[in-house]
Amino acid sequence: MSFLSKITDFFEYLAKRHRLLPWVFAYVALIPLPFILSALFNEYLIDLVNRICLFILLAVGLNIVKGFCGQVTVGHIGLYAIGAVTSAVLSLEPGGFGGALGFGWPIWLSIPSAVLVTACAGLIIGLPSVRLEGAYLALATLGLGESVRIFIAVTPALGSSTGLMMIPAPSIGSYTFDSFTSYYYLVMTAALVGIYFSFSILQSATGRAFQAIREDTIAASVNGINIIKYKLLAFVLSAIYAGLAGALFAHMPPGYLHHNNFTVIEMVTLLLMVVLGGIGNVWGGVIGAIVVAIAYDQTKDLVFYFMDRPIVIQPLVFGLSMVLLVMYMPRGIGGWIEDFQRNRRFIRKSEERASGSTRNT
Amino acid sequence: MALLEILNLSKSFGGLQAINNVSLSVKENTVHGLIGPNGSGKSTFFNLITGVYQPDKGSLIEFNKVDITDKPAHFIAAQGLARTFQLLRLYGELSVLENVMVGYHPHTKYGLLAPLFMGSEVRRQDKLVKAEMIELLEFIGLAEHAEIPAAELSGGQRRLLALGRAIAMRPKMLLLDEPGAGLSPVNVDNLMATIMTLKERYNLTIIVVEHILKVVMSTCETISVLDHGQKISEGNPDFVKNDPAVIEAYLGKEMADDDIRLAMNS
Repeated sequence: MSFLSKITDFFEYLAKRHRLLPWVFAYVALIPLPFILSALFNEYLIDLVNRICLFILLAVGLNIVKGFCGQVTVGHIGLYAIGAVTSAVLSLEPGGFGGALGFGWPIWLSIPSAVLVTACAGLIIGLPSVRLEGAYLALATLGLGESVRIFIAVTPALGSSTGLMMIPAPSIGSYTFDSFTSYYYLVMTAALVGIYFSFSILQSATGRAFQAIREDTIAASVNGINIIKYKLLAFVLSAIYAGLAGALFAHMPPGYLHHNNFTVIEMVTLLLMVVLGGIGNVWGGVIGAIVVAIAYDQTKDLVFYFMDRPIVIQPLVFGLSMVLLVMYMPRGIGGWIEDFQRNRRFIRKSEERASGSTRNT
Repeated sequence: MALLEILNLSKSFGGLQAINNVSLSVKENTVHGLIGPNGSGKSTFFNLITGVYQPDKGSLIEFNKVDITDKPAHFIAAQGLARTFQLLRLYGELSVLENVMVGYHPHTKYGLLAPLFMGSEVRRQDKLVKAEMIELLEFIGLAEHAEIPAAELSGGQRRLLALGRAIAMRPKMLLLDEPGAGLSPVNVDNLMATIMTLKERYNLTIIVVEHILKVVMSTCETISVLDHGQKISEGNPDFVKNDPAVIEAYLGKEMADDDIRLAMNS
């Protein structure tokens, strides 16, 4: 606890100097990570970290619509798929492998276009939220999200069952982001900027409007908040995160995309990240993404033999942990963080009071 | 001059006529009372004015010379019409300060996406709003609880916060739905005193729904009485108090006139 306190103190000290200083510090501290990982372990871990960064983007984006605004959406992975496939198809050379579509756009054009397309798709996935709430909204968005995956799976132009291959890697001048280490800097930057923007939104009037809608929709509308506009905005914002994560995923080495990356299981994994992180808490979501992504990776090959027949137990473990989490840790890691922050505030206040009273006497 | 003008307001839910042809006119800078037995349509009436429900055809609501009959709630709020709820509807997980800052929402000057692109301007404006809202909290006596979640306040403090959130909207008119419900008589008096100070300070016109008749009789200049969705009486407190139609609505036909006088005067 005191260790955590010291870190928080340090970051608060930095924030007092300049509000961007903690972010710069975090960025600099993350720069040597791939070298440490490859020196101590192996290259594969860098790939894992890259995927964690993408999952952080996804989880932080999902947190905007689900955590801040309280709209239960299960179609987020569909948006991720749209971002990935759009950017891949736009950047692939025409006449590619297996009848896949290709436009040969430069990558720095295809990624923003993919984000734009995903934002529009986010608007469409958000439309049911105007009329539906809770479980009904979840069902509607689940349908939309899953239909995206099936559409990709049955359309040869989008890869169908073979997937899209040889998706080019991004490059600046002659430098190409084609290794795990170089790509790490791309996705790490994106994740950090994503987290920062998510805080900017949360602490503004826009974020307060989102939270007001989550807490009480009728009171929010009477307080002058345009419910429909803000709900759709939340969906579009989270879609932008998902679109960017998807586009970055498409171009990540080895440049291969398959619709199996966008199944309901992936969606459950994503939800698990947000739930474990504590709904509505940004840092909780980030930690949730890290923990669940590592757990996902570690349990991927976990096979249990029953009467000599292999049983893959990962989906079971994830489903069960979701149930247990919701039952016994409904506020997730974010709940711990909030308690920690509140304790600190309380201690500081009582210290101030104590020092104030001694000064008076 | 009438700030709020309501003509032939009706609302039916299926076969139930919740509000039936009610017309009402509220003058600027007055306190207008709205009373009636439970289920007489008072809350529905508020919900219709503030856009939570849409009125039936043929109704007309004009606020400050703007037709707000079929307008959405956020538009009506932006015209300067604020309300509190009988069940408060606070944003429980948000802090007290954030609750009133949400109330200030209609006056936010920066755009939806400004937080992403012009951080410093957003922070500068938020700082000003925060200072203003803390001043408001000091005025209603909640400043020292500014940082705690609204759900952790006591019952009386929550009523104050609901009031503060409505005042933060800088309204011209304030609709209070049972502001004193669940408070002890002393607290009700304090609350009414606060409301009257706020009225003077912010130049408000108030419509108040209240079951504690003593409060209504002592603070309102005009009182309208609803029963079964219809306006059965209107006038100054003395007139309403002695109106046989009102007495009948509250106590039924067979009760003696003396009883209601006793109840109303106590």
